Amino acid sequence: MPSLYVHVPFCIQKCDYCAFYSHGLTDYSKELIPLYLEGLEMEMANHQKDAPQGVSSLFIGGGTPTALPLENLDHLLKLIIRNFSFAERAEKTTEGNPGTLTREKLILLREYGINRFSLGVQAFDDNLLRNVGRIHSAQQARDGVQLLRTLGFANINLDLMFGLPGQSMSLWKKSVEEALSYRPEHLSLYGLMLEEGTPLYDRFGEGLDGAESTGAQGLPDDDVQADMQEWAVEHLEKAGYLHYETSNFALPGFECRHNLGYWRGEEYLGLGPGGVSCLKRIRQKNVENVRAYWASLHEGKEPLDEEGKEMLSLEDCMAERMILGLRLREGVSFTKFREDFGVDLRNIYGDVLERYRNRDCFVIRGDRLSLNEKYAFVANGILREFVRGAG
Amino acid sequence: MAQASQRIRNFSIIAHIDHGKSTLADRLIEYTGALSKREMEEQVLDSMDLERERGITIKLQAVRLSYQAKDGEVYELNLIDTPGHVDFTYEVSRSLAACEGALLVVDAVQGIEAQTLANVYLALENNLEIIPVINKIDLPSAEPERVQQEIEDVIGLDASDAILASAKVGTGVEEILERIVTMVPPPQGDDDAPLKALIFDSKFDAYKGAISYVRVVEGRVAKGTTMKMMSTGKEFEVTEVGVFTPAMKIVEELKAGQVGFIAASIKNVKDTQVGDTITDAERPAAEPLPGYRKSTPMVFCGLYPVETNDYNRLRDSLEKLHLNDASLVFEPETSAALGFGFRCGFLGLLHMEIIQERLEREYDLNLITTAPSVIYKVKNILGEVLDIDNPANLPPVDQIETIAEPVVKATILVPADFVGPIMELNQEKRGTYLAMDYVSKSRVRLVYELPLSEIVFDYFDELKSRTKGYASLDYELAGYKESDLVKIDVLLNGELVDALSFIVHRSKSYNRGRKLVEKLQGIIPRQMFEIPIQSVIGNRVIARETVRAMRKDVLAKCYGGDISRKRKLLEKQKAGKKRMKQVGNVEIPQDAFMAVLKIED
Repeated sequence: MPSLYVHVPFCIQKCDYCAFYSHGLTDYSKELIPLYLEGLEMEMANHQKDAPQGVSSLFIGGGTPTALPLENLDHLLKLIIRNFSFAERAEKTTEGNPGTLTREKLILLREYGINRFSLGVQAFDDNLLRNVGRIHSAQQARDGVQLLRTLGFANINLDLMFGLPGQSMSLWKKSVEEALSYRPEHLSLYGLMLEEGTPLYDRFGEGLDGAESTGAQGLPDDDVQADMQEWAVEHLEKAGYLHYETSNFALPGFECRHNLGYWRGEEYLGLGPGGVSCLKRIRQKNVENVRAYWASLHEGKEPLDEEGKEMLSLEDCMAERMILGLRLREGVSFTKFREDFGVDLRNIYGDVLERYRNRDCFVIRGDRLSLNEKYAFVANGILREFVRGAG
Repeated sequence: MAQASQRIRNFSIIAHIDHGKSTLADRLIEYTGALSKREMEEQVLDSMDLERERGITIKLQAVRLSYQAKDGEVYELNLIDTPGHVDFTYEVSRSLAACEGALLVVDAVQGIEAQTLANVYLALENNLEIIPVINKIDLPSAEPERVQQEIEDVIGLDASDAILASAKVGTGVEEILERIVTMVPPPQGDDDAPLKALIFDSKFDAYKGAISYVRVVEGRVAKGTTMKMMSTGKEFEVTEVGVFTPAMKIVEELKAGQVGFIAASIKNVKDTQVGDTITDAERPAAEPLPGYRKSTPMVFCGLYPVETNDYNRLRDSLEKLHLNDASLVFEPETSAALGFGFRCGFLGLLHMEIIQERLEREYDLNLITTAPSVIYKVKNILGEVLDIDNPANLPPVDQIETIAEPVVKATILVPADFVGPIMELNQEKRGTYLAMDYVSKSRVRLVYELPLSEIVFDYFDELKSRTKGYASLDYELAGYKESDLVKIDVLLNGELVDALSFIVHRSKSYNRGRKLVEKLQGIIPRQMFEIPIQSVIGNRVIARETVRAMRKDVLAKCYGGDISRKRKLLEKQKAGKKRMKQVGNVEIPQDAFMAVLKIED
């Protein structure tokens, strides 16, 4: 049973670090919303067949789903409910920006069965938020958490970021501690990544370590970021959270099931412009353009981007299983690997396991291979061993 | 026949890099109509990329120009180009020996610079008529009078009638040609004497074999002549003789005074060594032309493919380069750290860099070059003398009786103001003072004996920086001297990396050992694990640094929408790492193996 992701490519205003496909809501882009919904309706009809037994989980992401006007949000939710059935007690998440929450929208989400809410807090500090072009204040985030709780959301995630321009260790600790004070069921702590084509990349380039970027409003260097990460892991674990994935923490039983699906190599449907699906071994991405998306669907074609369908080789699939699975504390299952690929993991990657044996990089416990926790934040060095070296 | 040679002029151009030699040569070719403008682009400008980029001549060029002078006669002007670097001093001396005159081209803004001087002196030694040309007078900042004065002061040449030229816009070109005709003496030499032809360059052609570029000094040579190499006695039957227009054009014969080429189906360029004299086997000359010297490599380094399966390609590429460059020598060697590769010998550091760059560019090889070394003569306790061209092969200390290192006689020409700094430098470089004299009011010649290894190390850079570029250096091998030398080994993560070993004088060992580990600490990137770097002499650790473990190298986010992108990012990073050599668990960047050259004493 695949999971279902629905992409909402609209926000009030894009943040400076964001490389995801989304339109800031201007008068022009507002005209795209009806096209978007019309396209989505057609696309969902086409994909019902991909989930004959329904979908295992739902994630409405973006962009900012809650940036949609109330009646459009209602329309979107209606489309989903009409087209797809859900597994019993399925996890259904919506993302939202604290600057876009209204009581009405949240009530609507609850009415449609949304049982998990992921709030993009990023930092409880107005100065840091402004530095990266967030549209909301720290107070709005506090109010948002309050409102979610009041309206009965019993599974809340808060996103926090570290490595922000101007962020010191003490500011980071303050944000983490405040987040913990609300006892969210889930926390995602993301190190800032400078993505090409974003305003932040233009501001700092790739030079995370450059002296010019380490001023008062500059980027904390890698060592400081590592300290932030390590401190947070320790602090959250003491508070009862499981560090179950590189950047994710949850109270026991509240790990994000939708995302676990990605990391465990399960199938997923991703609808909406920019959405990515992976069924069997075929991965396809929708075009990141609302008009083109609508036009393709209108002509009865799949709204794919120029790369179209990607038939993943067995080699790439196995590599992905490793680079995703090793993000998880639980690691990769030998049995599932053999079931899915017909070969033993050790036959394929025995040399890598051997090479790092004396360094204690891998932990094998029962049926599972995982990465030693102490290498979690330098994992790329090992994960690169599993991919092809083609340039 | 003596009449004809009266209308031949053989000349070369001496100039500092960037002073406009190539442009001037192009202009002369164009003016005399040897090539059309379009052909110029295709033929002349299309020489080795590397030469164009670095602004240096590596491979010699020769071209025959046909010029109708103001006196109404048509003259044959042979321009023989020269490389401009001390590594190729010998080649320069041979091409100058093939001429009767030289254009001394000096930039009207920059004035005389160091590299020009050694070549001017070489030209004077060969009794060449020197025609000063002040180039680039079209530049707003040109100061021809000052430069004129400089030529007189520094070189001691009368520059009052120096030609003011701009090769770029074509000013002075005709005057230059006229001056060549009137000033450069026609070649002497008897057409009917036994053949003597000086090889000033050679080149391998897939169809014609090794081709000798020659200046016929006496006698004549034609197709069918049985020619004989005077240094080796080897004989070959001439299949073609010709001239450079600049395209190779076959002619009936070459006679005394002329410049051209001789092809004789010679399989190996080794048999057409620069400086050798070609004579007629049936009527040989009694004496060869003076100055022949077998080219001997002075500097050695290891060349290893980063990708082990490129080994055969590297060998094939070296063989191809060797076809055209007899001074390049190589033989297989094995390194515990780097695997299979070659120990290669070069004329000097530039020669080494050029070969390395050509291998990487023209043959698309990804290489690791180890720090250059010289040949040490090691006497072991059995009394045997071993030639050690790779520090890793030095026997253990307790088996060594003595080590001798090559020394050179170095001649340095420098403005008098810089004598102090040069003496200081030579002191630091373990030099022995031999002589000093004033070559002009303001210019001094210093002669020192220096260990070649010190020259290979960083002597050029130091010479340049301590004299603002005004010193010029020439050197020749002057035998071997015993010396108190030790080998420094480097351990990375506790493992010996043989390709990083080097031999150094004991007095400098501690300092260089320490500086090298510091340098390596800067070059080796942080990796997943901490990497201790140690330098040791025998079992004694003399310095240690640590590359701290990397602490952050992770993809913060990876969800369904960007799994492909993240996978490809890792693939790309992995491909990028291929430029590094994996030794044990440590990834070593290529330049780490040259790090020893980048430390200061």
